Amino acid sequence: MWRIALRNLRRNRRRTLLALAIVSLGCSLSLVVLGFVERSKALIQQTTVQQYGNIQIADRALFEGDSEGLGYLIGPEDQELLTRWVAQFPEVRGSTVQLGFSSLLTFRRRTATVRGLGVVPENPVLDYNGLVVGGRGLRSSDLGAVLVGQVLAEELGLRPGDFVNLTATTAAGALNVLPAEVVGIYRFSSAEVERSQVFVPLSLAQTLLNTRGVDRVVLGLRSLRQTWGTARKLDRGLPAQGFTLEARTWDVLSPFYRQLASFFDLLFGFLIAAVFVLVFFIVLQVLTLSFLERTREVGTLRALGTLGQEVFRLFLLEGAGLGLVGGLVGLLLGVAFSLAFNAAAIPWRPPGTVQAVTLGVDFTPLVFGVPLLVSLLSTVVSALLPAGQMARLSVVEALRTV
Amino acid sequence: MNGQGFCYARGDPVLQAQKVSKIYALGKEKVKALDEVDFLSTQGDFVVINGPSGSGKTTLLNLLALIDRPSQGEVLFEGKPTSKLSERDLAFLRRQRIGLVFQTFNLIPVLTAAENVEYPLLLLNLSRQEREQRVRSLLEEVGLDGLGRRRPDELSGGQRQRVAIARALVTQPRVVLADEPTANLDSTTGKQIMGLLQNLNGEHCVTFVVVTHDPAVPPYAQRVLDIRDGKIQGERYVADRPA
Ligand SMILES: Nc1ncnc2c1ncn2[C@@H]1O[C@H](COP(=O)(O)OP(=O)(O)OP(=O)(O)O)[C@@H](O)[C@H]1O
Ligand SMILES: [Mg+2]
Repeated sequence: MWRIALRNLRRNRRRTLLALAIVSLGCSLSLVVLGFVERSKALIQQTTVQQYGNIQIADRALFEGDSEGLGYLIGPEDQELLTRWVAQFPEVRGSTVQLGFSSLLTFRRRTATVRGLGVVPENPVLDYNGLVVGGRGLRSSDLGAVLVGQVLAEELGLRPGDFVNLTATTAAGALNVLPAEVVGIYRFSSAEVERSQVFVPLSLAQTLLNTRGVDRVVLGLRSLRQTWGTARKLDRGLPAQGFTLEARTWDVLSPFYRQLASFFDLLFGFLIAAVFVLVFFIVLQVLTLSFLERTREVGTLRALGTLGQEVFRLFLLEGAGLGLVGGLVGLLLGVAFSLAFNAAAIPWRPPGTVQAVTLGVDFTPLVFGVPLLVSLLSTVVSALLPAGQMARLSVVEALRTV
Repeated sequence: MNGQGFCYARGDPVLQAQKVSKIYALGKEKVKALDEVDFLSTQGDFVVINGPSGSGKTTLLNLLALIDRPSQGEVLFEGKPTSKLSERDLAFLRRQRIGLVFQTFNLIPVLTAAENVEYPLLLLNLSRQEREQRVRSLLEEVGLDGLGRRRPDELSGGQRQRVAIARALVTQPRVVLADEPTANLDSTTGKQIMGLLQNLNGEHCVTFVVVTHDPAVPPYAQRVLDIRDGKIQGERYVADRPA
């Protein structure tokens, strides 16, 4: 059966080639765009996780930013309990705590509003020292130390070794000022972060706010893929442990990532739909013509005892063959084009970022699977209608046609 | 003897038509292509149905081949009525018990001669070994030794009809029905084809029903029926068949 189907594809070469060209073009285009989307998402994923860790556990009020005062702080005993509890999850590589605060940073009479983040220096989960480009990172022995972003450093003329004053409101509502030495300058993909985010040792943040609390526990996981499953387990377990806290994943924590990811998905969805419709209509034309041409052949097959449904399958197989061959050729074309594109290493600076990234195409199973599936599906769907018509022909009528 | 050395008793009814009529509606007009035709062919029979164009030969043959249903009357296969059978049952009867030869050969153009002959065996799910053996011996029998790998468009008309005959016989059917098998052949080739059918009829105990308007065909039959305007006019037995 498949022999008949595949050989029929070679029968009218020009028509088959046209259909194959359309299918493979659609397939390769989908591959390149999907591979590009995958690479871009992976890049953003990487920087997002660099910023937020895999999962954060905190009070809902902190996440929503709708609290007056510091009611969301997690006390020392709870920190202890929480840290021990999350360590039981096999997916969790480690955890650390952070304390964020709003502050004024003053250097030689110039002042900037910043968001401070107290972190445990040199912790293995998330310590931001990897971002440092000048000076050094925060150390466990540091007391009054601060990491500032490159943009802020340029605006205020800061250099490693300079001393700044940090001003913040304590948990009790009083104003507090502490000096800190700029030990390092960091860079991040976002200029906005570089301008407004500073990192200090947790001890400094707690002294500044006059608290022993932290505002979140940050988890590092063994693999990115475990993020969502683990978050669900945590969310189910937290109330049972007596916490009114929530677990949020990195993709939810970053509005930027969410917007970009859904934009990419939408873009790709449109493309796939367009490819599908285009391939569907052109292949429908091609197959209808080539099936009709074989009306008497169908009559012969039926007269020899072939069932209508077998004829139907034969023609579907032909559609699938077209999709498979076109799809495979399309994959090759797509890979060739992607390799050329990757070799060109085109740099691109996304809006609002400071470092250019290299545009490229990633090859994941998805990048091959989806275009091939769309090719197959669109051609098989195109074949459905004409194949059904051929299968329902009256044997005698089909034999009578010339 | 057929391939398995097995023969039904000569004289058993194979195909039978009882008062079959076929009425086509052409717009508002009704064409009576067949009018209460009775027909009987038995095991080992070689019947020719002879008649001019438009007399209803193809219509009758289609009914006997179980690819069409009569407007009235009944077609019996091996003594059993077929009007109550489903399309599916009829298709299974056709693939197992009936061989067909067409005026225009109707080979599958993308398949080689051997693959064309093999096709009905694929429907019967025979083993590859069995299929290859049957195809080889039938191609040999119809005189196409060594041409099995050619495609239909690389064969002459006579050779194509031989492929079609091999295809009709390969399933070891009880009856082979042929619609004007010589009409698209020159007269010499036509005679060769009829001689081949005659031999095959002698060797396999397969029934042959051939419809034609070619005057060269009837001499090869045991029995000739004349059809005219959808009615069987008369029946005669052939005394001197060509050797
Ligand atoms: N599908 C159909 N619709 C309408 N009329 C038909 C149909 N098939 C056959 N007829 C008519 O029935 C009559 C018998 O046709 P049939 O094809 O059986 O004749 P035939 O003897 O095979 O002729 P030929 O030698 O030309 O093949 C003719 O008058 C023909 O026009
Ligand atoms: Mg006819």
